[in-house]
Formats: sequence, structure tokens, C-alpha cells
Amino acid sequence: MKVETWFGTLEISPEGKVLESVLFSKAPLELAERSFTLSEEKTFLPPPGFDFRKASLECGFFESGAEYDSILHELTLRKAKLQVSKALSLDQRIIQAVEALDDINETTNTLSERLFEWYGNHFPETGLTGEALAGFVVKYGNRANVDPEDPFYEKASTSIGAELPMEDEVLIKAFAESLFSLYARRGQLEAYIRESMETRAPNLTMLAGPMLGARLLSIAGGLPQLAKFPSSTVQVIGANKALFKHLRERAPSPKHGIIFSHPLINTSPWWQRGKIARALSAKLSLAARMDLYSGEKSPVLLEKLDAKVGQIRALHPNPPAKKPDSGSGKSPGKRSGKGSGKVSDAKGHVQRSGKGHNKGPGIENEKEPEKRPENGNSMKGRGR
Amino acid sequence: MEGVEYRAWDPRRSKLGAMVLKKFEIPLKKDSRVLYLGAATGTTVSHVSDIVSEGAVYAVEFSARSMRDFLGLADRRKNIHPILADAGRPESYAHLVGPVDVIFQDVAQPNQAEIAAKNAGLFLKKDGLLMLSIKARSIDTAASPKQVFKNEVKKLEEAFEPKFEILNARELAPYHEDHLGLIAKIKGSE
Repeated sequence: MKVETWFGTLEISPEGKVLESVLFSKAPLELAERSFTLSEEKTFLPPPGFDFRKASLECGFFESGAEYDSILHELTLRKAKLQVSKALSLDQRIIQAVEALDDINETTNTLSERLFEWYGNHFPETGLTGEALAGFVVKYGNRANVDPEDPFYEKASTSIGAELPMEDEVLIKAFAESLFSLYARRGQLEAYIRESMETRAPNLTMLAGPMLGARLLSIAGGLPQLAKFPSSTVQVIGANKALFKHLRERAPSPKHGIIFSHPLINTSPWWQRGKIARALSAKLSLAARMDLYSGEKSPVLLEKLDAKVGQIRALHPNPPAKKPDSGSGKSPGKRSGKGSGKVSDAKGHVQRSGKGHNKGPGIENEKEPEKRPENGNSMKGRGR
Repeated sequence: MEGVEYRAWDPRRSKLGAMVLKKFEIPLKKDSRVLYLGAATGTTVSHVSDIVSEGAVYAVEFSARSMRDFLGLADRRKNIHPILADAGRPESYAHLVGPVDVIFQDVAQPNQAEIAAKNAGLFLKKDGLLMLSIKARSIDTAASPKQVFKNEVKKLEEAFEPKFEILNARELAPYHEDHLGLIAKIKGSE
């Protein structure tokens, strides 16, 4: 029978004797390349118990077991290195970017609070915070430098703040510069994520917005993984604590994980949120699958989602009449939505992009209604 | 020649280290050939590599990220053969590995019993041993660990081909919570 091993092709008898052998070169790179093909093909596997290391020594291909081991070591190392260097996908790059963005959001929040307190000693009347304040301090430093043309001139000249010594001004200005450049990096990252998500996952981006979409990718570990999740998982991604509490103890199930940051959910009244979260996550997982397998943008998804959400809203315009045991239903999901700084930041971005998204469906509806049946069918086909 | 090097072996970071302290009889010899599934960044692999100084360790790991950290180590230690592959698809590395004396598996996957059987079927010598660490939490987060262990042992004994006979099983507490360490051989072998 024919057997493929990393060092050559063997013809062996049923007892495991080598009858014939075609051996390859001992060059690690060539061996590694061949090993890739063998891993793909998975044919002519050595039968269990066949010691091809011993066989290779018997047919004289290697002088010693040590030589066998040493060349195999070179091969596996070379192959693994090639695999590692090829492993960086667009998904991985998006994930790094969105995690960097979360880090920056956290850092800028901390630093901007510090700047607010610090500069407030000197000029509390600005009423500025965050990026605007950082920009102001970078521009002027001491309030005495405020330009007479500037709307802040009046406030600056009558400020009750303490004097700002030269050496403090140098410090605080440099601090504000660092913060300001972090805000610039944030814009850069957001642009990168928006663009990459549009390429990688157009449908997911259409439904969730680029930031929420990228965060879903990040937690799933990539688009292939996200596409494999059932939509019930997508619904509670990011609500780990509440979910496991629910599974282990008698806590209520979470209604939403990070998808809480989606405007369809967080702008809806509490009694609709769970229902909308289910509808949304169903469409999100469909979107992820379409992105993975076809890559074509299909506005039908958005139409259907909007129709479904409209239906939910129409059916449940009022809170349930029974005295709602809402604390139980509401708190775990909500806690998970607001639990970490990362998620509440997500809210801000998605809301912004969400405004565009809400306008979207109307326009697209008019444009391409005829696409609906075609896409519906192809989706079913993929489902199988 | 310089002096002898002593290395610390942290049982809290290594299932095998914990198994040593829990008085398992570790079947590793100087010239053992070991298939190590779930190498991660190679902490435990390095200790196995020390023990089997004249043998070999085939270290399988699925995550490219972990493999990146592991490669530096594999580069220095000539008896380690790193393999970036899915332990659930042993056919993809069958042309590299060949028969082994010991399979050590620490993959924390819900289907780990099946993975063990697949690999043992292809690679484990008749008289070889399987060492396995079962993490209850990665199989069922809700069920009680004891129940999970029981089910998993049953799966090993009956569900797949080849079937195993458990020689020794102990929990790895206090070093690892909700982990069961076990040693098994292929049923019917000597």
C-alpha cells in the first residue's frame, strides 16, 4: 500500500515492510512546502502503528534517529513560521484597531478629566471639555494669551482663576498636546475601521454600524467565527456575566449584550427592547453569514429588519399591564450594556452612525425593491 | 560543562505539573516520543522536553497567536516539533508524527473526548498511554463539575473508537479548579 510521509512516498507490505520508496530532498523549505500539500490532501495516511521513522532508517534515507529528528525539527519549525506569518487576516487587523480605539477612549476620558480639573484652576469659565478644551489649551496656554478676536477674550480677561506660572503653563500645554493628539488618533482609527468594515462586512456594517459591527467581530474573534454563532449568541455577546449567572443560578436571561448600543434598542422603551434585540440579532447573524459567503450587500436585510421592528412597535405600543417584574428582566441586560467603559463608549459612536443608518432604509427601499425574492432564496440555500 | 540547571515548575500554570504533585505516575521516559495537544505558549512543553531529552515532543497548537510565542522556545529546543494545526483533524499532521508513547492532551474543548480518541487511534502505540486534563467549565458551564467528569469519563470509555480504560483519575484542585486529570490506556491493550 502507498503511504505518504513528510520525507517521501513509500510502498509498504501489509506487515509494514518498505517495498519501494521515493524520497524527497532534505532541504527544509522544500519539505515544508510539500508538508503543506500533504496536510491539505490527507490521503495515503500512514496506517496506525506504522513506524515510518524506523522505516526511514532502514531504507537508509537518514543515517541516524538524531538526523531524522533534526531535519523534522527544521521542517516543522519552518512550516509553523510560514503559517504564523500568513495568519494575519483583515479580521485580525480590524480587531486590533477596534481594541486600540477602546483603549484610546478609556485613556482620553481619564486624561481629559485631569485637564479639566487642572486647567480649571486657572481658567474655570471656558465651559469646554474633552477635545475642545484640549484644543483651547494647546492654542493659548495662559488665558492672558487669548486673542482679542476670540469669543473667549471677554471671559479670559475677567476670569476668577488663579495665575498660571510659566513652568506650569509649559507642563499643562504639553499635557494638552498629548491629549489632543490622542483625539486625532481616535479619528484616524475610526476612519480605518469604517473603511475596513465596509470592505469586509458590508451587510453587518449596514445593520449594526461600523463600530458595533467591529466590536462583534472582535469578541467573536473574526467573521468566520461570528457567522457560526447562532443569533441567540449574537444577542447576548458581551453580556457574559449576566448570561452565566442566568445559566448557573436562577437569574433572568440577559436580553442584550453589546448590541444594546444599537440605536434601535437603546432608544426603544424597555418593554420592546428584548423583542427588538431578538429581531436585530437574527438579522445580524444573517448579515455576517452573507458577508462571509457572498460578500454582496443586500438592502433586503435592512428592509426586513425595519418591517419587523415596526411590527413589534405596533403590537406593543404600551408597557405590559401587569405590574411588571421589570427589575428582573431589565437589570441584567442593562447592567451589561453599561457595565464597562468600553461599551458605553460604543454607544456614543453607534448612535452617531446610527442616524445615517436610520435614514438609509427609506432610500434603499425605493431603489432596489426587486432584489428581495432573489436574495431571500439565496439565503435559504446557504442556510442548508 | 557548567553546573546543572534547575527550573521552577509552577503547578498552577501547568496541568502536568499539578498531576506530578497529585502523585500521578507520569509515564514519561528519557526516550519517550510524546504527542502534546494544546501546546499553548509552551510552558509545560518545555518541561516535557526536558524530561524526554532523547525523545521528541510533537507539539500541536491551533492558535497562531500562541504559536508565535511558542516558536522562540521551539527554535531553541531541538526535540520539539511545533505543529500549527487543529487537534480535531489529526489527518492533517499524520504524515509528520508517527507512533508515540504518550499523548498528553490539554485542549479545553467541549469535544475533547472525541479529539483524544481520534489522535489515539492514529498515533498511540498499543502500550502507549493517554494523559488528559478535563476542564469542566469548557464542556458545560452550568452542570456540576462532578457530573461533567462522570460523563466525560464515560465518553472516553464507550463513545468513540478506540475506547479507553481509565487507570487513574484525580481532581487537580487546589492547583486548578474544576479540572480532572486522568491517565488511560487503550482498552484491551497491555
